[in-house]
Amino acid sequence: MPDRIRLGILGCGAITQNAHLPAALRHPCVKVTALVDADLNRARLLQRSIGSSCEVAPRLSDVLGKVDAAIIAMPNHLHASATIDALKAGVHVLCEKPLALTTSDARACCEAASAKGLVLAVGMNRRFEDRQVLLQRVLEEDLLGSLAGYDWECGSPWEWETASGFYFSRAQAGGGVLMDAGVHLLDSLLDWFGPVNQVDSQHDDWGSGIEANALLKLHHSGRFGELTGSVRLSRTYNLRNSLIVSGSAARAVLPEADRSLVTVHRLLGGHEASMTLRLTGSNSPHDSFSRQMSDFVESIQNHGQATVDGWQAVRLIDLVERCYAQARRLSEPWAEVDKVCHEAST
Amino acid sequence: MSWLQKPILVTGATGFIGGRICERLVLAGATQIRALVHTVQHAPRIARLPITLCPGDLLNRESLRQALGNARVVIHCGLGQASGIVRGTQNLLEVTADAGAERFIHMSTAAVYGEKPSLGCETEDAPLHRTGDSYCDNKARAERVVGRFVRRGLPAVILRPSIVYGPYSFWSTRLLKALQERHVALIDGGKGACNTTYVDNLVDAVFLAIENQRAVGESFFVTDGEEITWGDFVRSHIDMLNPQPTVPSISSEEVITHYGQQLGLWASSFREARRVLLSVEFRKMLVQIPACERVLSAIWSRFQAIDQEKQQRFKAKLRGTSSTIVLLAPSENGRYIPDLTTWATESHAVFFRIDKARQVLGYTPRIPFARGIKLVEQWLRFANYL
Repeated sequence: MPDRIRLGILGCGAITQNAHLPAALRHPCVKVTALVDADLNRARLLQRSIGSSCEVAPRLSDVLGKVDAAIIAMPNHLHASATIDALKAGVHVLCEKPLALTTSDARACCEAASAKGLVLAVGMNRRFEDRQVLLQRVLEEDLLGSLAGYDWECGSPWEWETASGFYFSRAQAGGGVLMDAGVHLLDSLLDWFGPVNQVDSQHDDWGSGIEANALLKLHHSGRFGELTGSVRLSRTYNLRNSLIVSGSAARAVLPEADRSLVTVHRLLGGHEASMTLRLTGSNSPHDSFSRQMSDFVESIQNHGQATVDGWQAVRLIDLVERCYAQARRLSEPWAEVDKVCHEAST
Repeated sequence: MSWLQKPILVTGATGFIGGRICERLVLAGATQIRALVHTVQHAPRIARLPITLCPGDLLNRESLRQALGNARVVIHCGLGQASGIVRGTQNLLEVTADAGAERFIHMSTAAVYGEKPSLGCETEDAPLHRTGDSYCDNKARAERVVGRFVRRGLPAVILRPSIVYGPYSFWSTRLLKALQERHVALIDGGKGACNTTYVDNLVDAVFLAIENQRAVGESFFVTDGEEITWGDFVRSHIDMLNPQPTVPSISSEEVITHYGQQLGLWASSFREARRVLLSVEFRKMLVQIPACERVLSAIWSRFQAIDQEKQQRFKAKLRGTSSTIVLLAPSENGRYIPDLTTWATESHAVFFRIDKARQVLGYTPRIPFARGIKLVEQWLRFANYL
């Protein structure tokens, strides 16, 4: 392999433009050699914006031999097939979340990586945020006492600058807010609290398969014991936007507005007191996509495993599938006008 | 075949009213609903529904043709900016007429009579006049364009709701925020006419306007049919809060005086010059000069020849009391002063009548205000506003 990893990026939409491409360009061991998109104009636009002479092509097959690794950042429904094609061609893969829309497809990706001895990383960039490690340490150091539960609310009116608009197609996106922002939250929860053995799920899909709101109750059985928590997701409403983990001795609050800190609140001599925890002294880059890129590069260079590998994605997609399979329709009494009028008249 | 079985296009579908129309169409069993989507970021609410999202722009006729597809019914709630309101409506009407659609519902507004309508505008037969407000005047122009297409044979109906409230309405979310920030005052004790329309009552009227052949070519006010004041509306939201804020009252005179004092040197000089030039004293002095007397007499006899209403409007304009709205900073020594748009909207006494909608459409408001506001509260709690 050359000194620098030759990287191709498949899919030149908003996430590539705003996150993957800048992270790749910043990394000293990475050279972006190809931008691939079925919409060649879109790829050329990005190529010009970075002043690069890299290859621009409509398909991965057009750039084989010119890339050692690839980032897959296409619409969700293409992730699995593009990942398998790249792995079969001997290319390491960092695939945007979700790795696939079904566990069987995600497994096929993992098996393709194993068969070739290649790195398969999944783009769960939030795992590289400071708070992921911070809460882990808080739990391990037993700062909260025995855990009582968690409550995570994450939502705001949607404003993602989508280039292709695939997010509103069930066939292409695989779902709504749960499949989009939800997988980040579920992935972090699985990492902190372990496997989920019971799911109670509600969402507001009226038949399109693209829910905007979801309520989950999850029961974990992991290294911190049995734990039940709730998750609320929204693409339409401003929610509290924080995770609260409650324990017998204290509670930890993780605000969405600043994902580099954890605040621990507890009673101290009868008074409510809080301490804010931040990681200090770290030399790693601050943004999570750059850290994810470094992790991917190191995995390739060391012939190791990525922090978030394909098998973790299988576990995650299995949980998402269970949430969808068991979901009840969220109650929206204000929406059922005939029922409202009937109730009023009786 | 029921119209619900036919393809239906909704514009403004990512907005509050259009979004609810899409939901109600789904609840009513419509299966071929097409929604014009201008800004995809605003689509999460309607993306939940089993409908077709059609990217497009009211200012791009080709995109409208594609969005229309084979739709037989068009419900036009799309808006646009300033004159775009008129051009967008005209484009959609042209495309709809070309396709020979069976019904065009134009979502207009009672604000075609201005933010501060005058007494006499209670029924739909009151003539439309220029108000000086861009939104109001463009909505009125859009109505005239619809009228032209009706005369050419397009079966269109105009609906004129006023203060449409309900889940997702900014009237409630904005008012709650303002109450929390102490940026609300009851103008003249809150006795101004609010003309509420619960969004589902409005959707009922839309469906009736599609079904009813007698509706074609007509305009209809659509309200809850109750004389709800701004005081009622504001107090119903105060009741949702804990603790409940105290809302001060402010008189119309205080608002007008406040903005009068803010006009600055040139504006106040202009205002005073106008006052002097229009004063009886000045006219008396002027007519002492023979040439001026002759010119003024000629102008006066011309003025007398035009109809009374135009005379009144012209006089109002000269006196500077037309409903041209100026937005200024709403505070004075920490005291909240409503902006002039709010003052105009909340200080008039016109309750629009819905007799015509009742008689022609068979419209009956199903959700009374008291029930509607409870549903809004339920939604506000779910949506994390309370």
